[in-house]
Amino acid sequence: MILRKIFRAVIFFFLAAFGALNLYPLLWMLMYSFKDGTEIFVTNPLGFPQQFRFDNYVRAFTGTNIPTAFANSALVTVFSVIGAVFLASTFAYAVARSDWKWRGPARMFVMMGMFIPLQIIIIPLAILVRDLKLSNTYPSLIVPYIAFNIPFATMIFYGYLRTLPFELEESATIDGATFYQAFFKIIMPMIAPALISMVIFLSLAVWNEFFLALMLINKTAMKTLPLMVLAFQGHFSTDWGAIGAVLVISSIPTVLLYLFFSKQVEKAMSISVIIKG
Amino acid sequence: MINAKTHRGAILSFTLPTLVVFSVVVFYPLLQTLFRSLCDWNGLFKIKFIGLKNFANLFGEDLFYRSLVNGLWFAGVLVLVQIGLGSLLAFKISELREKRQRFFIVTYFLPVVLSVVVVCQLWVSILEPESGLINQIFKVLGLPFRQHWLTNPKTTIFATAFVNAWQFWGYEFLILLTSIKAIPSDYLDAARIDGAGVWRVRWHIQLPLLSEAYKIVFTMAIAGGLSAFSQMYIMTSGGPGTASYTLTYMMIRSSFYIGEYGYACAAGVVLVAQCLLATILINRFLNKNDGAL
Repeated sequence: MILRKIFRAVIFFFLAAFGALNLYPLLWMLMYSFKDGTEIFVTNPLGFPQQFRFDNYVRAFTGTNIPTAFANSALVTVFSVIGAVFLASTFAYAVARSDWKWRGPARMFVMMGMFIPLQIIIIPLAILVRDLKLSNTYPSLIVPYIAFNIPFATMIFYGYLRTLPFELEESATIDGATFYQAFFKIIMPMIAPALISMVIFLSLAVWNEFFLALMLINKTAMKTLPLMVLAFQGHFSTDWGAIGAVLVISSIPTVLLYLFFSKQVEKAMSISVIIKG
Repeated sequence: MINAKTHRGAILSFTLPTLVVFSVVVFYPLLQTLFRSLCDWNGLFKIKFIGLKNFANLFGEDLFYRSLVNGLWFAGVLVLVQIGLGSLLAFKISELREKRQRFFIVTYFLPVVLSVVVVCQLWVSILEPESGLINQIFKVLGLPFRQHWLTNPKTTIFATAFVNAWQFWGYEFLILLTSIKAIPSDYLDAARIDGAGVWRVRWHIQLPLLSEAYKIVFTMAIAGGLSAFSQMYIMTSGGPGTASYTLTYMMIRSSFYIGEYGYACAAGVVLVAQCLLATILINRFLNKNDGAL
């Protein structure tokens, strides 16, 4: 009995040690954002900063466009997530709970989108954006982000919506509710957990999105956070402390969001697996 | 059931926007890529149908084969690290208590929520030959083993693959963990009552029920590896030279840097065909296990 307990404790220790090892690079990054060049490379690479050099952070803010990039990312994320969740939930509702004769093909059509990798459409998409004179605009990012996240969100909402009893609409109609009232006032609150999970999950995904943004945006003022961080590779080439500060600053939003809402993210993933299977 | 005939307008108002957005942003470009891969296209108005010539040129180029091989290596590393590690830890963590599980889930998943740019730049400094973390650690341990991880053509693809693996293995881990937890405990209890040991339970009961989850993680790892781009772009610019090129990189370079859009589309088509093939093989291979139950 005791042997078992010891065994369990040892396993736990190894799992935790592994976790610490896994996260050590992040800790190292945090630490070196407070150090200066000599400390990072020569005197104290692995240890706690001897002195907290906040001027790294000052240089990070003044030498870069962090506020602008933050604002760009925030704007794009908010609109993309709201758009995707709204379109996906309404679409899933119409398809899950009506006897519309095109509901099967419509759903298949959108689901196929999950299997279409970004790489195969990026070239014509970039050209389309250019030809529509929408280069370097917010819609050029928001609309594709919405389109790409609709399939996944639809899948989740569809699964959820199918589990609700159909009597709900019937009693709503008896009470005189219209189609829209039934959806917004009765059904939507019932799928609130799914809506919240999706909002969190998609926010993380869109905020960090890199490839599409890289292909579609090249004007500095319009760059989202990932693009701006990349642009600093050249700018701060030897100022490791400032680079570290930039990296830390840009990681704070999503790390905080995740730490607060890790349960919702987990829920979104588990539902998606169960539904796919 | 909502009666579609009475609510026709409302249903269309709910479905049409999604269908339109989707068709314009995803479907139409997809068709364009397929069609343009058969053309000589400079991205503007000069389009000339040339049949399979782009593909012929593609298969004749050395860079194509290097990209292909790199993609396979990348996928291999991802499968080994992300799925191997993810599985091992998913099974172990699933045996812990709820509260403790949460701690590990957050710890392992955290790198996933970071921006790929941040992770790559961090690892560039870690892998730096002179003063990077890894070589510093070797120094501290007294080992003379120092590597130019990113600038050595032989190791660069593995280094970039490892960075991707490090960032995203938590994702595979979480998928597997939630699937393991979804298996009703009665199945396992029944087996244990029948006297089955841990490994028999694992092999004959848990794994077959996890076949869907494994299909998902294998598809993610392999398709992700084949189409890798960001790590190379940020960390080595495809280098040194072209040692860490992948198909996606070829595609981007051919179109936006060289202006041969038709050729780039052809590369894209090959890439997608690869991913499709991988998905089909994965499905076929992992469906066999269903028969065991």
